[in-house]
Amino acid sequence: MVRDIRAFDDSRAAAVFLAPTLAVLVLFLYYPSFETFRLSLYETLLLGQQTTFVGLDNFVTLATSPEYHNSLFVSFAFAAVVVVGSLTIALFVAYQLYRVDKWRSIYLVAAIWPYALPPAVAATVLLFLLHPNLGVITHYIELIPGVEFDWFTNGPLAFGVLAVVAIWKQLGYNIVFLLAALHNVPESLAETSRLDGVGSLTMLREVYVPLISPTLGFLVVMDTIYAFFATFPLVDLMTSGGPNGATNLLIFKLYRDAFEFNSLGLASAESIVLFGIVSILMLAQLKLTGEYAHYGA
Amino acid sequence: MAVEDSSITSESATVGLPDTLWVHLSLVVSIVLMGAPLLLALLMSTQSTAQIYDVTNLAPGGYALENYQSALFEYDLARYIVNSFVMSIIVVVGKVSLSLLAALAIVYYDFPYKDAIFAFVLLTLLLPVPVRIVPLFELMADLGWANSMLAITGPYIASATAVFLFRQHFLSIPSSLVETARLDGVGPIEFLVDVLVPMSRGMIAGVSVITFVYAWNQYLWPLIVVSDQQKQVVQVGISYLQSASQAGQTQWGLIMAGSILALSVPLVVLVALHRPLLETFALQQK
Repeated sequence: MVRDIRAFDDSRAAAVFLAPTLAVLVLFLYYPSFETFRLSLYETLLLGQQTTFVGLDNFVTLATSPEYHNSLFVSFAFAAVVVVGSLTIALFVAYQLYRVDKWRSIYLVAAIWPYALPPAVAATVLLFLLHPNLGVITHYIELIPGVEFDWFTNGPLAFGVLAVVAIWKQLGYNIVFLLAALHNVPESLAETSRLDGVGSLTMLREVYVPLISPTLGFLVVMDTIYAFFATFPLVDLMTSGGPNGATNLLIFKLYRDAFEFNSLGLASAESIVLFGIVSILMLAQLKLTGEYAHYGA
Repeated sequence: MAVEDSSITSESATVGLPDTLWVHLSLVVSIVLMGAPLLLALLMSTQSTAQIYDVTNLAPGGYALENYQSALFEYDLARYIVNSFVMSIIVVVGKVSLSLLAALAIVYYDFPYKDAIFAFVLLTLLLPVPVRIVPLFELMADLGWANSMLAITGPYIASATAVFLFRQHFLSIPSSLVETARLDGVGPIEFLVDVLVPMSRGMIAGVSVITFVYAWNQYLWPLIVVSDQQKQVVQVGISYLQSASQAGQTQWGLIMAGSILALSVPLVVLVALHRPLLETFALQQK
């Protein structure tokens, strides 16, 4: 595992070098996380001034709340759509970038820039361009006979719009990783599996995808975490969870329960559920990348 | 490269295009589709509110100066941009320094429970902000840090990912260098500054870009912990713009100008440093 080089002997010096990192991690990561567990067993009243131990009541509340069930369903559905959508498009673009014969660096920068796109900016720009009354894109969509693009009142449409924004923003990240993975495929492996007369997209599906599956597994996990956690600004700026809860992702519900309704105990229980989801995803990633590693570590 | 040989194409046969042309065409179409919303936003940021409400008017409006000036100074975006910039720089410098020191200790020293401590660092990957948001907010209040730069930077200046990446990189540095340094009696800080840092320039640049973009794009945590508008960061700042209206009409030109401004800084950083970023990502998957 850890190759010991041992350039220096004084282990007190090592402690000094590690101390700042460990101090920050303990104070701002571990301590609040443990507090979340503790708080999830309490009910808070009067802006957190009064707390009563209620055991697992908060979890029972969540388990029996139709509103929370809806948020769970919406979040998982959203993650599925965002992961599949973003990875499919990114895989195609990365593959073409890998194959292109010239102007590669220009194409590259033009394709990965959404990595720098702030989610709040992505949300604001598309809120305007897709605005039911003012959006120029909406105007052209509605030229199709019988189409009314009013996602302010139509739940599934709002969900779709939010997914488009989330996919758009995540393309840069996915393309960067997939392109690196494609470049790591040994030439000879692709060469031997090359089938004569096979189309380039078939090559991608039959030859490259299996070879880069560890990276795809990694990205499925990272994109799922992204869809669960980093999409808060999209909901906050575009839909506020509506219409009728159609976009009320877990992270947005948690924010409202904690900071609008001051149900700190309940919100902490929601945090614990999110912790469970992250943990499962991370473990799955470790297992996946171990099992499907097709080429050298 | 691998698949450009024209003997193995069939899409080209179906579409009737040579393979290389099909590659270029699909790239151009993808890139235009990805960039279109941004170009439209840029265009609209030059229009007056009246021009915006004329939905199909896609001509440049000549109000760019008004919109950008108003966003920057009337609506205080200039202040928010400075706040975001200071925050991001503190997080980058803090995270890189702390992580370099931690990786130095982990790779070049031998001490008890080393693997356990490394695992302790890595396990924080399971603890994103939403998992600890309520107690973290209360902690900031208890420390008297609400509305401060400390609150929006402190929780971000240590990182499992950065420690991991620097550790991987240090392990790849030939041990003969370490032996030489040891024989010459070079101290650890000197070794870090004179040997490791120069040999890790690309990795440090890569981690810096990742961290800068990550810090700049934060929204939820500043929204919660900063209530004093003067102290706010630009991502939350653009949501303040949305209340901007004139005679009952939302000033979307102004809001688009603000959005372009909020994006421009990380975009410049990414374009300037995309090479080290790509190399760092390539290493992360090994």
